[in-house]
Amino acid sequence: MDNQAIVSAKNIKKIYGRKGEKQYEALKGVSFDVHAGEFVGIMGASGSGKTTLLNILTTLDQPSEGTVEIDGQNITGLKGNDVADFRAKKIGFIFQDFNLLENLTNSENIALPMSLQNVPMAKVQPQIKRLAEQLSITGILDKYPNEISGGQKQRVAAARALISQPAILFGDEPTGALDSSSTTDLLEMLTTVNQEQNVPILMVTHDPLSASYCQRILFIQDGQIGQELKRGNQSRQEFYQQIIDDLGAFQGQEAKYKC
Amino acid sequence: MLGKLAFTGIKSRLRDYLVLFTGLIISSAVFYMFETLATNSSFLSSSTNGMDSASFIFQFGSVLLTIISLVYIFYANSFLLSMRQHDYGIFMMLGAKPAKIGRLILTETLVIGFLSSMVGIIFGGILTASLGNYLMEKIVQMDLPNFQALSVKAVVLTLALYLILFVVAGLINRRKLIKTPVLELLKGDSQPNRPKLKPVNQTIQIVLGLGLLAFGYYVMKHFVDFQLASIPIALVTIVFGSYFLFNAVFVWLVVLLKKTRWAQQGINNFTLSQLSFRIRNYTKILATVSILFALALGAITVGMGFGNEADLFTQGSSGYTMALKNPSQAVKKQTNDLKLARKSSYSFKATKKAVYYEKDEFDRQPLQDVSDKWMKAISKGKKPVASYDSRDGKTLQKNPGSLYYLQGDFEQEIKVVSAQKYAEIQAPQQELFVFRVKDIKQSKEKLDQIVKTIYPKTFQQQRANIPGGYSSYLSGLEAFGGFEFMGFFLGIAFLAMLASCLMFKILSGANSDKHRYEMLNKLGVRKQVLRRSISREIIILYALPGILGTIHVLFGLQLFKTLLIAPYQGIWLPFLIFVVLYLIYYWITVKLYQKIVLPAVEIDK
Repeated sequence: MDNQAIVSAKNIKKIYGRKGEKQYEALKGVSFDVHAGEFVGIMGASGSGKTTLLNILTTLDQPSEGTVEIDGQNITGLKGNDVADFRAKKIGFIFQDFNLLENLTNSENIALPMSLQNVPMAKVQPQIKRLAEQLSITGILDKYPNEISGGQKQRVAAARALISQPAILFGDEPTGALDSSSTTDLLEMLTTVNQEQNVPILMVTHDPLSASYCQRILFIQDGQIGQELKRGNQSRQEFYQQIIDDLGAFQGQEAKYKC
Repeated sequence: MLGKLAFTGIKSRLRDYLVLFTGLIISSAVFYMFETLATNSSFLSSSTNGMDSASFIFQFGSVLLTIISLVYIFYANSFLLSMRQHDYGIFMMLGAKPAKIGRLILTETLVIGFLSSMVGIIFGGILTASLGNYLMEKIVQMDLPNFQALSVKAVVLTLALYLILFVVAGLINRRKLIKTPVLELLKGDSQPNRPKLKPVNQTIQIVLGLGLLAFGYYVMKHFVDFQLASIPIALVTIVFGSYFLFNAVFVWLVVLLKKTRWAQQGINNFTLSQLSFRIRNYTKILATVSILFALALGAITVGMGFGNEADLFTQGSSGYTMALKNPSQAVKKQTNDLKLARKSSYSFKATKKAVYYEKDEFDRQPLQDVSDKWMKAISKGKKPVASYDSRDGKTLQKNPGSLYYLQGDFEQEIKVVSAQKYAEIQAPQQELFVFRVKDIKQSKEKLDQIVKTIYPKTFQQQRANIPGGYSSYLSGLEAFGGFEFMGFFLGIAFLAMLASCLMFKILSGANSDKHRYEMLNKLGVRKQVLRRSISREIIILYALPGILGTIHVLFGLQLFKTLLIAPYQGIWLPFLIFVVLYLIYYWITVKLYQKIVLPAVEIDK
C-alpha cells in the first residue's frame, strides 16, 4: 500500500461562541492521517463532533486551531478562488440529502463541477459515460432527479463527486437516507471505485453496516478520537460483528460517563 | 452553461418569480405612465392655463415612486437571493469561483430587471393609452387630441432607472452572497428562529418603539412648527418605531398566546408555532409592509381628498357659478334646465371711463358673495360649509369688489350710482346675468353646453375666462384632479409592491412548510381544519401591518392640513377601496399557499 498521506490533520480544535461568552468546544485536538487508497469511516454519537470535523476537512468551516493538509496542500485559511479551486479539483463530496439540482437532468448534474470550470460538455461526455457504467446509472442519465429513486440519486451524486477525479472523496452519512438494499449497492460501488481507481474515501456514518465496508474506523467521542478499529484480514461480516460489539462497549462506556 | 444555470433557476421556481415579476412590472408600468404624462410636451401645451402645476405634480410623483421602487427592488432582490441561496451553496461546494457566482447573480438579476421593465413599459404604454387617457379626461376634464401614449423620453428614463437599480441590487446581492459561509447557504433555511423572551430587552424595545412612533406622530401633527424637516424626522422615527414595536410585541404576543387555553385547542398551537418558527424574519417585513401600507393608503386618501377639494375650492371662490354678459335667449333658456340656487340679472352701462350699475337694482336683488365664515372655518382647520352674504346697493357703492370679480375686468373702474345718474349716462344698456347652481359636479355637463353655445368654436380657450365658480372649478379640477389621479396610481403601485413583498415572504416559506402539512394530514387532521389554520396564520400577518399602517395614515394626514381644506372628509371611501384591494391580495396569497402546502391525498372525503 502506498503510504503517502492524502489527508493529514494535526491537533484540530473548534470552539463555538465568542470570547467572553459561553463557549463550547466541539473538537478538542483531533489528529489523524488518511493514506492513499484507504477507505476510512468516522463514527460517533450525535453531537460528538464528527460533522464539525468533516466540515473542516472539506473547507466548509475553519478550525479554531490546528492545520489540515490535503494532497500536500494546507487548506486552513484558504480564501476566495483558492478555496474554489481546491473544492473543484481536490475533493468530491456526497451528502446525506443528495443536494442534486432538481432543474437539471442527471447527466447535467454530474457534469456541473466541470461546467463550473468552463470545461465543454463534449469533453466531459466520455467521462460521464464511463462513470455511469461503473455506477449503473446509464439508463437514467437523461431523467430528472425527481424521477428516480433515492439509491439512484445517491449514485448520481457519487458520479458528480467523482467527475473531477478528486484526490479524496468525502461522504456525510451518504447512506443515511437509503434503504438497506440501496445502501449495500452504493457501498459496493464505492468500494469498487476505491479499489480500482485508488481514490481514498472518508465517510462519516453511524450505521454499522456502512461502516463495515471501511478498512479503518475512527470513533469520535466528546470531540476527541476515542478508539480506532482496523478491519485487517477479517471478512466484512466479521468486521461488522466487531463494530457492533465495540460500538456496544463504546456506547456503554459513554453511558457510564454520563451517569 | 452559465446562462442555462441562470434560466433553469428561474424555471424551477416559476411561481415565486411570477409574483416577483408582477410586482416589478406594475411598478415600472406606473413609473412609465408618470413619466409619459410628465414629459409629454404635446400634452403640456394643449392644456388651458399652462399645465405647469400638473407637470410638477407628476414629476413629484415619479420621484416618490423612484424612492419606493428602490426599497422594493432591494427587498425583491434579497428575496430572489434567498430563493437561490441553496443552489449557489451547491455551486460553491462544487468549487465554483466567487467571480463566477458573482457573474451568475448579476446575470440573473439583470435579466429579470430587463425583462420586467420591458414588459412594464409595454404594459405602461397600454395603461397610459387606455386607462390613463380615460381617467385624465374624466378627472382633469381635458380632451387630449394630440396625446401620445408612446414617449421615447419616458421609455429611456424608465429603462435607465430600472437597470441602474438592478445593477446596484445585483452588486449588493453578490457581495452579500460571497460573504456568507457555504454552510449557512446550504442549511440556513431549516433553522428555526427560536423566539426568546428577554423581558428587559423587550420592554426597552416596546417603550422605544412607542416613543418613536409618538414622536413621529407629534411631528406630523405640528407640521407648521417643524416645517419641511418634519417629513424626514417622521419617516425615520416611524420606520424604526414600527420595527421595534413588531420585533418586541409580535414575539411576545405569540409566546403569550401559546400559553393560553385557546392554544391547546385543535391545531391552534400548530398555527402559532408556524408563526413563531420564522418570527424574526417576519418582524422586518411586517414593519416594512406597515410603512408601505401607510404610504399607499395615504396616497389614495390624499389623492381622493384632493379630488373632493375641487368642490370646496369652488364654493369658496365666488358667489356665483357663472357671470355672463348679455347672454342670448337660447343661453338663458339653457339655464332653466339647471338646478339653480340663485339667479339674478343686473343692467349696466360701459363707457370708456367706467362701468356703471344702478344702486336700486341691488337693493331689490342683493348681490351675493362668499361669507367670511368660510375663510374663518378654514383658518381654524374646520370643515367649511358654503354660506353667502348678501350685499345691497349701499354696501356695493362703498366697495364694489364683488362686482369687479364678476365683471371679469379689473382695469376698468366700476361705479354703483343712483337711478337718476344711471339714466344720464350715454351708453347702450347691457346685462350682467349671474346664477349659482346647487351642485357644480352634477351640473358640469350642462354648464359646458352653455359655454359651447356662447363660444361654439373657442370653447376650450374661453371657458376658463368666464368669471365665477365654473372657471375656478376647472382649474381646481386640473390641479387637484392631477393630484387625485397621481394619488390613486401611486397608491395602487405601492399596494402592489407591499402586497407582493408580503406574498413573497409567506409563499417562500411554503415549500419548506409542505412536509408539516403533509404530516398533519397523515395524522388525520381534516383538510378543512388545515385550510382554516392557514387562513388564520396569514390573516394575522396581513392584519398586523394593516392596522399599524392605518394608524400611521390617520396621523400622517395631519401633514396635509396645510394643503387640503378638509383632509379627513369622506375618508371612508379610499379606506374601503384600499381594504378591498388588500383583502384580494390576502385571498390570493391564501389560495396560492394552500395550493402549495395542502397534500393531494385527502383523508376525509
